[in-house]
Amino acid sequence: MDPFGKYNSIISARATDKRILKKSQDGGIVSATFIYGLENNILDGVIVADRGEKFKPVPKVATTPEEVIEAAGTKYTVCPNISLLKSAVREYGCDKIGVVGTPCQIISTKKAIKYPVGLRHVTDKIALTIGIFCMENFPYNGMKTVVEELCGARLEDVVKTDIGKGKFWVYTKWGETKSVKLKETHPYEQIACHVCTDYTAELADISTGSVGSPDGWSSVFLRTKKGEEIIKKMIDGGYLETKPIDEGKFGLGILKKLALTKKEKNIKEIEHRKELGLPVPIIE
Amino acid sequence: MMVTVAHVQLSSCCGCLISLSDTYEKLIDILGSIDLVYCQTLADAREIPNADVILVEGAVCLDDHHTMEIVKEVREKGKILVALGACSAVGGITRFCKGGQMPKPVQSSFSALTEVVKCDLAIPGCPPSPELIVNVITAVLNGNMEYLRPFAKYAESKRGACGCDLIINVINKSLCMGCGVCAASCPTRAIKMIEGRPLVSSELCIKCGVCSFQCPRIELPKGVCQLDGE
Amino acid sequence: MAKTINITPTTRHEGHGKLILEVEDNDVVNKAYYINTTPVRGFETMLVGRPAEFAPIAVMRICGICQTTHGIASCAAIEDAIGCEIPKDGRLLRELVGLGNRMHSHPLHHLLTADDFIKPEEKELRVDVIKLIQRMRKVGQLIVDVVGGEGIHPPNIVIGGMRTNISERAKAKLYYALKRYEKDAYLMYEAYTELIERYLEEIGIPDLGAHKYPYIASHTTFGDKEDIKWDSVVEIPPQRYYKDKKIAESTSVMIPLYGGVPVEGGPRARMAKFGNFRIGGSAMDINIARAKENLGAVYRAMEILDELDINGKTKVTPEYKDGSGIGVHEAPRATNVHFAEVGKDGKIKSYKIIAASTWNFPIVEKAIEGYPHQHAEVIMRAYDI
Ligand SMILES: Cc1cc2nc3c(=O)[nH]c(=O)nc-3n(C[C@H](O)[C@H](O)[C@H](O)COP(=O)(O)OP(=O)(O)OC[C@H]3O[C@@H](n4cnc5c(N)ncnc54)[C@H](O)[C@@H]3O)c2cc1C
Ligand code: SF4
Ligand code: SF4
Ligand code: SF4
Ligand code: SF4
Repeated sequence: MDPFGKYNSIISARATDKRILKKSQDGGIVSATFIYGLENNILDGVIVADRGEKFKPVPKVATTPEEVIEAAGTKYTVCPNISLLKSAVREYGCDKIGVVGTPCQIISTKKAIKYPVGLRHVTDKIALTIGIFCMENFPYNGMKTVVEELCGARLEDVVKTDIGKGKFWVYTKWGETKSVKLKETHPYEQIACHVCTDYTAELADISTGSVGSPDGWSSVFLRTKKGEEIIKKMIDGGYLETKPIDEGKFGLGILKKLALTKKEKNIKEIEHRKELGLPVPIIE
Repeated sequence: MMVTVAHVQLSSCCGCLISLSDTYEKLIDILGSIDLVYCQTLADAREIPNADVILVEGAVCLDDHHTMEIVKEVREKGKILVALGACSAVGGITRFCKGGQMPKPVQSSFSALTEVVKCDLAIPGCPPSPELIVNVITAVLNGNMEYLRPFAKYAESKRGACGCDLIINVINKSLCMGCGVCAASCPTRAIKMIEGRPLVSSELCIKCGVCSFQCPRIELPKGVCQLDGE
Repeated sequence: MAKTINITPTTRHEGHGKLILEVEDNDVVNKAYYINTTPVRGFETMLVGRPAEFAPIAVMRICGICQTTHGIASCAAIEDAIGCEIPKDGRLLRELVGLGNRMHSHPLHHLLTADDFIKPEEKELRVDVIKLIQRMRKVGQLIVDVVGGEGIHPPNIVIGGMRTNISERAKAKLYYALKRYEKDAYLMYEAYTELIERYLEEIGIPDLGAHKYPYIASHTTFGDKEDIKWDSVVEIPPQRYYKDKKIAESTSVMIPLYGGVPVEGGPRARMAKFGNFRIGGSAMDINIARAKENLGAVYRAMEILDELDINGKTKVTPEYKDGSGIGVHEAPRATNVHFAEVGKDGKIKSYKIIAASTWNFPIVEKAIEGYPHQHAEVIMRAYDI
């Protein structure tokens, strides 16, 4: 089984701008790329997941670097970014839109581009898609349960959440760090994620995530020409520092393992649902 | 020989044809690559000829014998019969028609073309976007059946459409992952995303079928899963 | 001996129609019937009992060319019924979206009539004119896309105002688009005037399609309910208007009358009433007035952009109560009138529409009468029906 889908190259990278790194989840690839795009006329609006009250994400069209930075960091709950695709073009008047999303959101975007039935004069304005790796997501109250009941932190105090080293981590504004084993969070996952077989956002221009690179760095797949071009310009301009990805067990090895685990596990679930006569996303 | 195309308007607002014309500068190219043999709104031909493709816009008024004759005629004369737009494909706004209005109070029954006669392709949307209509015409010209498959399925299904399809076919089936593309695509803004799920306002839904067509959890055509632009 | 000529279906206009012409030996039309054969989808009855918010969404779908005007008139009627004042910036955006619609609809109509005036051998000219038209339409539709939310059936026109304001960037984009439109509208006006003058000269009937009926218009760029004497407006069934039973039972339109007679609405009516455009001339004057109105529209649109506060409030939440109201908007093709009766439960109690083009149905007949039948469709098309 092909773990990653098509790509041209994969690297480890991180932003050089400290302002970004301070707020970003990992290497700040998403925020740095969007800011670079906005500042260099490659993008004029980007759809991100802004932080709302009590860590509830809200989709937002960001048009300034400040707005991008405000929205940095992972929210482990559903944020319907793609719902803003049309407003970005209409009320906001954007012509070159950047979209960040989980693999499933990138798939939605790709379907919209191929079949823009209800998206008049919209999809030709999508200039860049950045996918973020994703094993599973949580409904808002699922995340709330994990944070409040399992980790014992108040949602309003949370400044960052993270998944790594087999644990779900919560950082509070009081400087505390709490965690719970991932095994214990499974019951709170969004069930619709269990028919999802894309871990690395195989259809994005660029996909990125933490797995496979050291702390504070990101693994980055460059999949399309567009994606490659912008990253190359950023590297040349000193906006990103890079190193070759670790080909070993804790680099590409683990990334591959996780991608395949997701595929195998969820293909089983799909088969199971088919046996029950339940619908699954039809691919034909 | 160029592919012959006819556009026939039944009970509709003409918005689907306007949508096609909203390809602006491209329109001339499109008209140059096909032979538009009939289109009452844009050209003078008064009789529907045989054509490779007949695009039919609008619902069928079952209470109007003239319409019923045209329906028969388009099936006989069109090699590929396309139900263009919600009214023709899935009913759309005409689902709310119930007659009783002056000066023709007896005209009360409107059905999607797909329900009245066998169609080969059906395109939801009120109206479908200009780009999509061009994609479909291009796919027909190139015989790209893979691209057209979802539309062929809509033509077969003879089902109406509604925002409720998202509830029944996606949310109820534990398939909704909350991407929000359904909300973005809705032409009446009937869909709000609440707690990561679409909430459809039955007050604003006009049964155009776009949201469920756009949802990747109902159908994900293979062509979508290929990466372009490597 | 007199004969009857049927032109069916009539072409290059929206909807389904046919012309029945009683013609004298000298080819001159003695009596004309313009019959609309489109089945009646019944938007008025469809709305009864439904929530008021549904009304604008639904009635836009009467016509895919001038959806915007139906949305505006519908909201205005319901707001009038419940005494709802919309905020200034909402009002400006509403006028702007209506103008965007006009700026696309008028050129589209030039597209439909172009072949009446451009000769078959003038291929290059034809392509140039189509390109010009499409450039202009693109700007009109961009305005409706951005301000209205969708270029066809704009959902941002809501009861209480406009759903959203626009961003600074969007405003700038519209400004530059309008600048381009201004230039193109001039070209179009000049080209069309020339074509029509040539046409009238060649057929040798300078007053082709003239009639003696009055005009109806309420405003130049928006719509004004106060400008119309409502006691004088009636809409009668075709059975009462046409003596011929067969004709009466075949047409799908009600006949609106103002002061007991048919009236002409549209570009000429507006420009005559609020400007100094020639009255009583050839119906071809309407084509020229239409081209000229594009200029008025683009100037007003720029003015609106100037006046618009992009941080201003665009919408109030409507509070429903029992009442009935009238909404008027000057559609590209004539005065569009909606009457709504709503209840305090927010539901529609009754609804009535005088769609813009219906004013001109009886007028088209009058305009055709007295001229050679060969020009009947050209006259009909001038009315953009
Ligand atoms: C639900 C979820 C599960 C994930 N699982 C994994 C995993 O298993 N392995 C792994 O390596 N990486 C995973 N990630 C990705 C990882 O957490 C980082 O988002 C990614 O590495 C990007 O970091 P960055 O520093 O480059 O981005 P930043 O500069 O911090 O930017 C992140 C961007 O993502 C947007 N965003 C945040 N949350 C969401 C959301 N819920 N939906 C849509 N957009 C959002 C933000 O608005 C921001 O623009 C997951 C992310 C999410 C949202
Ligand atoms: S697991 Fe799949 S479906 Fe769930 S959020 Fe991640 S990408 Fe989307
Ligand atoms: S689908 Fe919509 S745009 Fe097309 S004809 Fe029907 S109402 Fe008009
Ligand atoms: S498009 Fe489908 S999966 Fe996405 S939010 Fe809507 S219903 Fe859910
Ligand atoms: S909810 Fe919107 S997109 Fe879905 S069918 Fe209704 S009107 Fe169409």
